[in-house]
Amino acid sequence: MRPVLVLRLGRVPYGPVLDWQRRLHLLRREGRVPDLLLSLEHEPVITLGRDATEADLLLPREELGRLGVEVHPIERGGAATYHGPGQLVLYPILNLRELGIGLREYVWRLEEVMIRTGKAFGVELFRRPGQPGAWHERGKVGFIGVFVRGWITYHGLALNVDLSPNGFSWIVPCGIPELSVVSLAELSGARIGVEEVEPLALSAFSEVFGMEVLALSGEEARAWLNQRG
Amino acid sequence: MELVVPDLGEVEEVTLVRWLKGEGEEVEAGEAVAEVEADKAVFVIEAPLSGTLRNRRKEGARVRPGETIAVIQPG
Repeated sequence: MRPVLVLRLGRVPYGPVLDWQRRLHLLRREGRVPDLLLSLEHEPVITLGRDATEADLLLPREELGRLGVEVHPIERGGAATYHGPGQLVLYPILNLRELGIGLREYVWRLEEVMIRTGKAFGVELFRRPGQPGAWHERGKVGFIGVFVRGWITYHGLALNVDLSPNGFSWIVPCGIPELSVVSLAELSGARIGVEEVEPLALSAFSEVFGMEVLALSGEEARAWLNQRG
Repeated sequence: MELVVPDLGEVEEVTLVRWLKGEGEEVEAGEAVAEVEADKAVFVIEAPLSGTLRNRRKEGARVRPGETIAVIQPG
């Protein structure tokens, strides 16, 4: 199996991770780092993808600032989304050409990772044609936004585990008014957190992508990054 | 030389989201020229050679892999 180096970063602000992704994307393209997967939670942040408009923010920016919520316009596909504590975020930095998969297959596999993770907690998630993500009858649980250049990916997926606060109420998520957004904890009725979900999501990633997961956590992961900064 | 939407893997149609280079602008081989989007995935199209960018299709157009979206005239 091809290896993927997982960097488990814990809870990190959005800006530095975005810088890291862009830097690692270039290094991956030059073949100077292996396929990577960043696994983390963000501090509260709203990101605006290529399809987002200012009207997707339901609170004025000053108000969001007072709440400690950053707003970042970014290059990924999709509209507005929220990341914050209680949500597992995975950013794969993969060479799709070497893996032999195209864009559609890649998005399908990201959905599959979330669907299998849900199943591990007894929550049935499914796909909706034309609306990439992981869905439940009660709403959207998993989100996808991908950027690919030179067949190397970054950005990725976000899976709601137990959001607090639920910052999706501050935006029009994915450009869909009245979109119901739910999390695994609500749907399973169990008290689960990102700590429980992360290992199962990484196993699901390993299965779905056929890659062997080698993980660095916390200080080790940061040291690895700093050596390449 | 024609600038063509690449085969993205089972993707039938994409949106030409935006141009990163203007009509008549000089581009260098390997430079990012345009972004297309499908399935919440943005894909960057790079210039296959250096030259002048002409005949750009309109932003927002739905285009298919293999379709020409501009011409690059070697300088």
